[in-house]
This record gives sequence, C-alpha cells and structure tokens, in this order.
Amino acid sequence: MARIELQNIAKNYGPVEVMRDINLEIEDGEFIVLVGPSGCGKSTLLRMIAGLEPITEGEFRVDGRRMNEVQPRDRDMAMVFQSYALYPHMDVARNMGFSLEIRKAPSQERADKVRDAAKTLGLTSLTARLPKALSGGQRQRVAMGRAIVRDPSAFLFDEPLSNLDAALRVEMRLEIARLHQRLETTMIYVTHDQVEALTLADRIVVLNAGKIQQVGTPLDLYERPANRFVAQFIGSPTMNILEVEPTDKGVLLKDGTVIGISPGAERPVACDLGVRPEHLNIVPQGSAHFSGKAELVEHLGSDTNIHAHVPSIGQVLVRQHGHFPLKTGDPVHIALELDKVHLFAPDGQRLDTVLGSG
Amino acid sequence: MTARKITAPGIPRARPSFYLRYMVEPYVYLSPALVLIALVMLVPLVIGISYAFQSVNLLRPIETGWTGFDNFRTLWSDRKFWLALTNTFWWTAGSITFQFFLGLGLALLLNTSFHGKRLVQALVFLPWAVPTFLSALTWAWLFNPTIGPLPHWLAALGILPEPFNILGDPNLAMWGPITANVWFGIPFFAITLLAALQSIPGELYEAAEIDGASAWQMFTKITLPFLAPMIAITVMLRTIWIANFADLIFVMTGGGPANSTQILSTYIFTTAFRKLDFGYASAIAVALLGLLLVYAAVLLVLRRKLVKI
Repeated sequence: MARIELQNIAKNYGPVEVMRDINLEIEDGEFIVLVGPSGCGKSTLLRMIAGLEPITEGEFRVDGRRMNEVQPRDRDMAMVFQSYALYPHMDVARNMGFSLEIRKAPSQERADKVRDAAKTLGLTSLTARLPKALSGGQRQRVAMGRAIVRDPSAFLFDEPLSNLDAALRVEMRLEIARLHQRLETTMIYVTHDQVEALTLADRIVVLNAGKIQQVGTPLDLYERPANRFVAQFIGSPTMNILEVEPTDKGVLLKDGTVIGISPGAERPVACDLGVRPEHLNIVPQGSAHFSGKAELVEHLGSDTNIHAHVPSIGQVLVRQHGHFPLKTGDPVHIALELDKVHLFAPDGQRLDTVLGSG
Repeated sequence: MTARKITAPGIPRARPSFYLRYMVEPYVYLSPALVLIALVMLVPLVIGISYAFQSVNLLRPIETGWTGFDNFRTLWSDRKFWLALTNTFWWTAGSITFQFFLGLGLALLLNTSFHGKRLVQALVFLPWAVPTFLSALTWAWLFNPTIGPLPHWLAALGILPEPFNILGDPNLAMWGPITANVWFGIPFFAITLLAALQSIPGELYEAAEIDGASAWQMFTKITLPFLAPMIAITVMLRTIWIANFADLIFVMTGGGPANSTQILSTYIFTTAFRKLDFGYASAIAVALLGLLLVYAAVLLVLRRKLVKI
C-alpha cells in the first residue's frame, strides 16, 4: 500500500532537459496510466519512480517519506518490463520466486507463494519450464507472476502488452484489470495505446515533450480535454480541428458558416474548433452546417467512417453509428452537435465555450 | 489419352537410380574439401601416431621398423616422463587459474564505464600481440638479477631472501614461465569474457535490482550463469593450448634446471629434435593427446550438465 507523490520532478541528461515540472499525487490503490507519444518521457518517469534512473530535481515521496536516494531494492516496488526481462537460465517457478530467493525466505513459503501466483495466472502446468519454452503471452504472465509474488506496495508496468498480438493484448488487459480489482494495490502503468489507458485507468496522465498535459479520469479527458494535444491524442479516430474566427454571432468557419457558439470570457482573434467524428452527423440539407463530398467511406460494421471533403474547410471525418448507406462521391450534409464542440486558443489551451452568440 | 501418374505431396517420386545419385552426388561436391582436410590434417596425424609404434631414431638409421608397444613400455618406466607429466599439470593449472581469475577481473573492470576506456581496452590486448619468443626473452631478462629489476623487488618485499635468479632454482623455476604465461594469457580471457559480458541484456540487472538483489547476488545469479558457456569453452581451449605450449619454457629455462621445468611438450621437442628419437617423441605425444582428449570430454559433459542457456 502506498501513496506516491511527485513534486516538481525534473530530469536532465547532461545539458538536455527531458522532463520538468512533474507534479502528481497518486492515491493508495489507484490505477494510474501514463500515456503519451514515443519520446514523451513516460518510461523515464516510471524508471525514476522505480529508482533505475536518478531524479535530477524535485522530490519523490512514498507515504510521505522522501525516496529520491533510496536504492531500487529498498523501494518495495515491483516492475513488469516491456521485454519481460525473465531470467533465461531459471525455470518459471524460480523466476517468479526470485525476489524471495534473494531475501532468503524459507523454501516452503517460497513454494506456496509461487504456487498461488501460478494458479492465479494459469501457469501451474508450466512452472518447470524455461522461459525460452514459453509463448509471448505466457512469458508476460510469468513477468506478472514475478511481480505478484513479491506482494509489493506498488506495481509498475512499462508497456507490458506492446509485444503481444491484438487478441492476446485484449485478454491480458482484462487480466491486469482483474488483478487490480483483487489486489487493490497502487499501479502505475505506462503505455502509448490510448485504448489501454482509457479502459484500465482510474486516472490518466497525458504527457507530451516531458510535461504533463492533463491529469484526469478517462471521461474527463474525453469530454473536457485541457488542450488541443490531449483532444487529438485521446479518442479514436482523431478529433477534427477546424480553423474559426470568433465574431459577435458565434464562430465563423472558413467557408462563411456561422456556428452558434463562442469562447467564454475573452475573445481571441482566431481559434480552433475541435469536434470528434462521432459528434458530427449526416443530416438533410436544410439542417446542415456545411456540405461536402464523401471521398472515402469505411464500413466497419459497428460504425461507418466518412472522410468528407468540404470546400474551403478541408478534410472532415464523420463517424456514424451502424451501417450508413453512402458511397464514395455522394454529397454529404454535416451538422455539429453544438454541446460537444470544443474551442482552443491559438496556443492550444482549451477555451470554455458558451452556446449561442457571444 | 494416356494415363497420368498421380503424384501427391509427401509421396516420393524418386526412381531407384536417383537414390544412388542422391547418396553419391553430395560427396562428389564435397570431395575437394575432404581431400584437402585429409591431406593436411589426417595424414600427418596418422603418420605421427604410427611413429609411436615404430623405432624411428635418426642416430640409429638401421634399426627401423615396427616395434609394437615398446615405446610405451619404455615410457611407463621413464622417470623423466612422469616428472614432466607432473610439471605439465602444475604449469597448466597454475597458468590457467591465474589467467582466468585475473582475466575475469579485468573483463569486469572493462565492462564498467570510465574515462579512456577505449585506449585501455586496446592496451590490454597488447601482450597477446607480442611474439612469444620476444616476451619469453624479456621475462627471462626481467628475472635476471644482473639486468632485471624483479629479483631486487622480490627481495625488497621479503619474498626472496636475497636477489637471485629464480629460473636457476629447481624449486622456484616453474614460477618464471608461469608468470610470463599469465601476463601473456590474461588478454585472451579478458577479451572473450568481456564480449560475453556485453551480451547480457541490461534489463536483467534492472529486474534483479528491483527484485532486491545485491551486487554480489547479481554477479552469482545472473552474470556467472550467463558467462558459464563461455568460461567452459575458453578454459578448455586454453588448457589444451597451455599444455602444448612449449615456447615460453623452451626459451626461458630450456626445461631446466634439473628438468624442474620440463613439461611434456618440451620433453617431446627435445626428444625429437635434440636426441632425434622421433618414435619415442611420438609415443609421448600420443600419451599427451590421450590425456587432453579425456580432459576435453569431461569438461564437455560438465558443460552440458551445468549450462542451461
């Protein structure tokens, strides 16, 4: 059990600053997902928490105690690596019980704990095998088993599912979610996959270029993204961004259409309008905000993605639920769900929107 | 319409003459290599072994011919052979032990990061590149109290009662060539073990660190098991080389004083090229070959039992 606090954490490699102003409080038992594009520093942050990378500046506390200088082996955290990092010369049971072997736990206790963990993860029949005789999914389970056996105060996952195929990834994701429900231990999970982030997290931390962009529940991030980066990173397919000009009657699209919303307090010269594909609708011509031509229609069964070209606005992606009978080249008339539209200032920050003219 | 023979995957279509062709043809292609190997390796080996069962002495050119196991009977009662065998054991064991442990230590040091690492790595390799006769001469001079500093240093440290040449003392002479051989052989172990060390994935150490392992535990539970295959193979190779390695001893002591540094390979050399008794020299060589084969077989069995990767 651990309450983890990061205060003004910064990380430099020589003169290169890769991370700064990281402030985060993780409650005991919380499932936190660090998400961001490659190179955003999410793995570095996790490794700093694990103690594998020194922290350049700031303070890292567990249950109020400063841990910056504490050795990894004394931090009481278990880590699951992307490559699993199983010891290739030890069988599954010894791999899982390695931390107990190191601590010279009695062999009976070791065997019991390994057996319990193996049972939980469905590895009972494999305990005598070497890692090279296991499939990717089984290795992944062993790596998790090694973490469970330790009964640590926090679990750290570094992109644990990225080496698995799609079907297995879904299965293991469920398994990790179940594990968290059962153990109720603090978990910090790094991924670049937003689906993993949205499905697993109590709270998501979105990182970009070494800075925290937003911290919030999955729904928070989806409904109220703090800036354009988060808006485009969370949600699939990506949010449409349209250039608009705020006026007295609302915001003015490039083709002259006026949309009846406006940024709240102050009115910038120009801003961006963000709307998710699922919040655009194909409607009869009369009630449409703008019209264009379908350039590509993707029928996914559950949804239909319509890539439309709208003159003087550009490319717009519309997502309709279920099968939508539309062909490439058909004219499309598109309406926005005004209460789901976001406005972003030129610097990318979110602007509160007000329905109706400003 | 003619009936077509139906073939299916997995059912052999080969005709009997094809079978012979498949049996013979590969060996036709292989024959140049096989002939070459036979000529340069097998023929001399067989001739050498056959000498062991003949009387081939250039000083007695008339008494040639097959003598059966006579040479080996002489060998069995040859006091000098048993002395050389004991010396070979100490020479090999002493050299390999120091070479291995110092080489391993050096490899571990070189595997850390420090300033000027590349230069040090290159320097470490140097002794290996020096011709053995040159290093043997240099070490012989170093041990000579009139021109070399070593006896004086050893005396100053109290290891020797007075600065004399240990190469002239039957009880100590073997340490001379062993020291030279250790100096000469460390780079081999350092470089090969360093290569093996660098192939260990760094994540294993990170995982072990998080699992709570101390530096010593990481060394014994991760580094050593990973090095084991390399250790087994290099120790085996070096043992065989060192047991056959006559250059250093031949130049530094010539087997003396009083045969105290006479090992089997120098004994073979002097028997063949000083006494010109090739038959007896071959018999000693066959005995050494047999011992080394047994040693290699034991080590390979051990390796299979201990190494899991």
